[in-house]
Amino acid sequence: MKNTIRVERAILNITQAELAEKVNVSRQTINAIESNKYIPSTVLALKIARVFQKQVGEIFILEEGD
Amino acid sequence: MLYLSWKFTNDMKTRFLFPHKYRLVGWVLAIPSCVLMLLVLHAEFELKFLYFGKGHSIFTSDGADFLFNIHRHNFTDEVGSLLLIAGLLMIAFSREKEEDERTIKLRLESLLWAVYVNSAWMMFSIIFFYDTLFANIMTYNICTPLILFIARFNFVMYKERKNLKNAGL
Repeated sequence: MKNTIRVERAILNITQAELAEKVNVSRQTINAIESNKYIPSTVLALKIARVFQKQVGEIFILEEGD
Repeated sequence: MLYLSWKFTNDMKTRFLFPHKYRLVGWVLAIPSCVLMLLVLHAEFELKFLYFGKGHSIFTSDGADFLFNIHRHNFTDEVGSLLLIAGLLMIAFSREKEEDERTIKLRLESLLWAVYVNSAWMMFSIIFFYDTLFANIMTYNICTPLILFIARFNFVMYKERKNLKNAGL
């Protein structure tokens, strides 16, 4: 699974720390999600999508083999 | 007051963890009791006030190995190991300052790692060590799973923080 969080953050012009605060997780977690090292729970994915005001499927995209 | 939260909150917090501040309490308990247990194990150290005796028995133990049959016994090792385990539990299973769902995953993975490493070490010891040496290793084994877990989990969390620094954000 890949995601477009880095791009979406750039559009909103917010840092990892600011996004982390909005969805109530640590900066490490946001960093790990962005670098595809961690797959967030459904709840967290929904919260992140809500920050960017998009559907979850627009931010988290399944890849071949998932 | 000690409390354990028994329900998942909206933020998917783990159950059965101590509040963050218990980590400090854990260190305060574990370090002195660890030193005490090393002295007990290797220098036959005893705290005199933990000496218990009743009746006129001249034997340290009448072959009695159950609490209510004991005539004379020094409880230094019992008190020390109980405090050590309690302290290690608090260090190991206190919430992180910034606890989230990824912490839960890293914690459980570290626990799995610690159990594997400890079991491998046990299997190795069973094959290669005998008698007193093996008995000593088994004594250490009272707390090695927790110590391995604490070391692994803290190492993983340290690497996380370092990664973040390198990411430079």
